[in-house]
Amino acid sequence: MTDTVCAEMCVPPTDMLYGSPYEFLETGIEGRALFNLPFGDIVNFLTPYTAVLFIFALTFTIIALISKPERQVDTVFGGDAYYTKDIPKDTLKFQRFMAIACGLATMGGIMAGDVFNFTLFTAFIGITNLGIVAAVKNKHILDNAFEYGLLAMVGTLPLFVGAALVLATTGTLSMWVLFNSAAAVPLFAKLLLVIGVIAEGMAPVFVAKAEITRAPGAPYILMVHVSSLLIFLRVIEIVISM
Amino acid sequence: MMTGIAFAAASAATAAETAVGSLTSVTFGEIELFGLSNFTIGLIGAIICIFISFYALMREKDDLHRLLLTDLIEVIALIAIALLGTDLAEALILPGLVVGVAELTAMSEIYIVKEKLVREPESYLDIEIMHTAPAIIAVGMLIYGIILSGFTGGAVAGLGMLFYFACKGTEEKTGILEKISGYAWVMWVVAFIVFMTLPAYWFFALMLAGTGILAKVAIKISILGTMRKNDGNGGRREIGGDGND
Repeated sequence: MTDTVCAEMCVPPTDMLYGSPYEFLETGIEGRALFNLPFGDIVNFLTPYTAVLFIFALTFTIIALISKPERQVDTVFGGDAYYTKDIPKDTLKFQRFMAIACGLATMGGIMAGDVFNFTLFTAFIGITNLGIVAAVKNKHILDNAFEYGLLAMVGTLPLFVGAALVLATTGTLSMWVLFNSAAAVPLFAKLLLVIGVIAEGMAPVFVAKAEITRAPGAPYILMVHVSSLLIFLRVIEIVISM
Repeated sequence: MMTGIAFAAASAATAAETAVGSLTSVTFGEIELFGLSNFTIGLIGAIICIFISFYALMREKDDLHRLLLTDLIEVIALIAIALLGTDLAEALILPGLVVGVAELTAMSEIYIVKEKLVREPESYLDIEIMHTAPAIIAVGMLIYGIILSGFTGGAVAGLGMLFYFACKGTEEKTGILEKISGYAWVMWVVAFIVFMTLPAYWFFALMLAGTGILAKVAIKISILGTMRKNDGNGGRREIGGDGND
């Protein structure tokens, strides 16, 4: 979502920025981009750094797609009997769907070539994480999901305000322009972006608090951890390169 | 509030045109107050609102009220985007709003399940028009909706179908309706990909998108009708009666 407001102040001509298959973006981490995927003037890209993150996200999405849920086994104390707990089919389907959606959102966030798209994908990760955690119908777990949901909702404020300040100060949201040294992004906007991503990526804390890393949620809970880790790594790349 | 300040500033003076705040690379009109641009003034106002709402959220203990306060915070985020005042800001508000509404809906659902606030109604509305009118009204609105097409047509057709399902009671159809809605959404997305990648085929994409959005909106609305969960006797329940007779 780049705009035309900045036409005068963006130093490199736009022909060089978009569309040309031979001109790749220079980022602060790991240098030159490997791959461009233009959608109009939104140009997604992968650098060696983000390509590694992308493969990581893809791997875990496939794991979530093909793996079966973990079933809890409780041993009866003082005897040799045990009983198993079944995961209801509905819960399984919903959690699997949410885990895959979370993987796709993570991959989108990693590939995003536009600050606002990145914030939207981050908010999307927050919603899908909420879905994964809240699929378990248990008062204690739902309490934690509610707390996380409040945090994720509040977190959209620094995210979007950060993106809005980036737009206000530089006149563009495209990372292709922002990653040039000519565009000066204020520290405050970067700080807001990082705070927003921290709030959205706080899900593993609540997963640990609700103690669903194993039985009721595995292996789909993995996706919560993977997505927040990867989105932290991505926002660091963005903030350093801007 | 902002316009009030702006008018006051306009009448006061047009002093110091060059003195602008640090956040004024994009011009937002000519009016200035204390050497600050409209954007900076608005941003200061938004930051004050942010502090007030976060303080309220910190003080509040009731879960439902905290949920409502987070919605307030979402609105301030939208205000901060709206301050930009460009076409792009307009384009950014819509996804921001959608994210906010989606999160609020999910949170409300969690709150309802968490606090066990689900309660089946004891009686349903049962009047004569609900036995005689549904078919003719639904067919009429469906045809008119297809003629209108697009989002508006979807809303009209959907209302007709909602009325039909609400009166005739067909809760087992929810699953298949959701499935069709999903396919319609896929059509819409495919149309957008065609717009971006093969712009030469824009007319095909336009038709695809128009049909997709018609089906999607109509079906999403009609799902509301099937959610009434009656048994097809015009709202009269077989067990327990409707409380009127």
